[in-house]
Amino acid sequence: MTRKNRPRKDPWPRSHTGPLTWWRDHKRVARETLHFVSARLGTSMLVWLLVGIALALPAGLFLVQINLTGMTTAWEGRPGLSVYFDLGLADAEIAAAAAALLARSEISGVKVTTQDEALREFQTYTGLANALDLLAENPLPASLRATLAEDASLVDLELVAEFAGRSAGVSEVVVEKTWLQRVTDITRVVSRLGMMLGALFGLGAVLVTATSVRLAIEARLEELRVLKLVGATDRQIRRPYLYFGAFYGLGGGLIAAMLISLCLVIVETPLTHLLGSYGQELKMSGFDPKFLLVLLAVGGILGIAGALLAARQRLTDLEIL
Amino acid sequence: MGHIEFHQVTKRFDNGHEALKDVTVAFEEGSMTFLTGHSGAGKSTFLKLLMCLDQPSRGQILVNGVNLTQISSRRLAYYRQNLGAVYQDHHLLAHRTVFDNVALPLRVSGMLEKDIARRVRAALSRVGLLPREHLFPGQLSTGEQQRVGIARAVVPRPKILLADEPTGNLDPELSRDIMHLFEQFNQVGTTVIIASHDHGLIESMGWRIVELGNGSIVRDQNNEPGSYDTEK
Repeated sequence: MTRKNRPRKDPWPRSHTGPLTWWRDHKRVARETLHFVSARLGTSMLVWLLVGIALALPAGLFLVQINLTGMTTAWEGRPGLSVYFDLGLADAEIAAAAAALLARSEISGVKVTTQDEALREFQTYTGLANALDLLAENPLPASLRATLAEDASLVDLELVAEFAGRSAGVSEVVVEKTWLQRVTDITRVVSRLGMMLGALFGLGAVLVTATSVRLAIEARLEELRVLKLVGATDRQIRRPYLYFGAFYGLGGGLIAAMLISLCLVIVETPLTHLLGSYGQELKMSGFDPKFLLVLLAVGGILGIAGALLAARQRLTDLEIL
Repeated sequence: MGHIEFHQVTKRFDNGHEALKDVTVAFEEGSMTFLTGHSGAGKSTFLKLLMCLDQPSRGQILVNGVNLTQISSRRLAYYRQNLGAVYQDHHLLAHRTVFDNVALPLRVSGMLEKDIARRVRAALSRVGLLPREHLFPGQLSTGEQQRVGIARAVVPRPKILLADEPTGNLDPELSRDIMHLFEQFNQVGTTVIIASHDHGLIESMGWRIVELGNGSIVRDQNNEPGSYDTEK
């Protein structure tokens, strides 16, 4: 090799480089890809629907979870236990039992209801005052309700119930988990389910996009070969397909938002009725602009991930002739 | 950038056929060469190796000192941006207009659209296809498609220009015009290699002639117009 012919540092310099060139190329590719996607609206709509459904379910479950969490946080009721005493038990013995329970660290408060108070409440709330007048004596027992301290667990509650059951004059101990306690349990299930479905359906969205992008690659193989012949880099070859993935993902995110919005409209009336029967007011939270932006971003990211997967599979070592 | 060297290059296909056998040849920067030989002599294989569309089974191909057999995919892309190539089967995109086909290498290199328009129209004007810039390749004759391929090859003003039978479908007058176009590029330093078996054309141009026969170089001579022995 002669001195003249030794390789220079860059024997094939690029005439147009820099961020402006990069930006120009991205703009051109985005415009061309958008044109390609909109020219095949039927196919694109199918992909958007598939991705949208895949995103809507976990996103909807996420909304359900944050609303259930909000509901249980707002509820002031705490689990506890009700102790029912033998009929005719002396007030002093009832007070002693109440004091013994209150002395325990697991209990934050005790409210005693005497036989007379129980009778008055029954008459007030049931309207059956006349029926009770026919009885010779008050059939309602005295009772107390002990509320579990905030740092106490449900296991502590069982221990306290056992303790209360051993006290003299106690006929029955009822451990109460409020219905919201059950809602909390349901929320946990929904949360886990949401995460699981999120992962599964997210993977589904990636695979749907990957398949669609792969089909787009197959449809344009000849163009890719020619692009390689005229000196397109691997990044330039891959770039249109990343935009495909992003557009499919963003469209899917938009469809998901529309589906969730439709579901909310459909369930609003029966849900309002249901919560009203529990004295609760329907206050849907979470479906806001931030949620929509995150939904679109997640759609876009999953779409790009699918496109990368397809491009990696199909464009690596693309045979050009 | 246009110095090309083949060092003992052999290309053997899977079926055992050797298209090139131990070929050693060099092309100086700014030279003009006709690569000739009978059908199946190895001309197209020679150009394909130079375009990096295939790899030699043995030997080295150096362009400006860089071994093409060991080039990375990124450097290969930059190499091809500096290479103009005319293919026998044109490789035009059917769903893009003539203008867009010719503009392709310029868009890949990131040129501004207004500069692209100017350069593309100039190239189309040179091959006589400016009035047809809005048509699609399917609406053109084979000869016109070939001229689109030529315009696309010359539009980036490449450092190396390779053409595989570029005048195969053109009439003699147009063939000569295209050769003069290649000559003009050569005058500004482009290395030009043209595979052709058009003896009349080869004889008339007075360029260096490298003749292949059964995969080997059987003749390498500088030609004066009219001196080429067509019987060889």
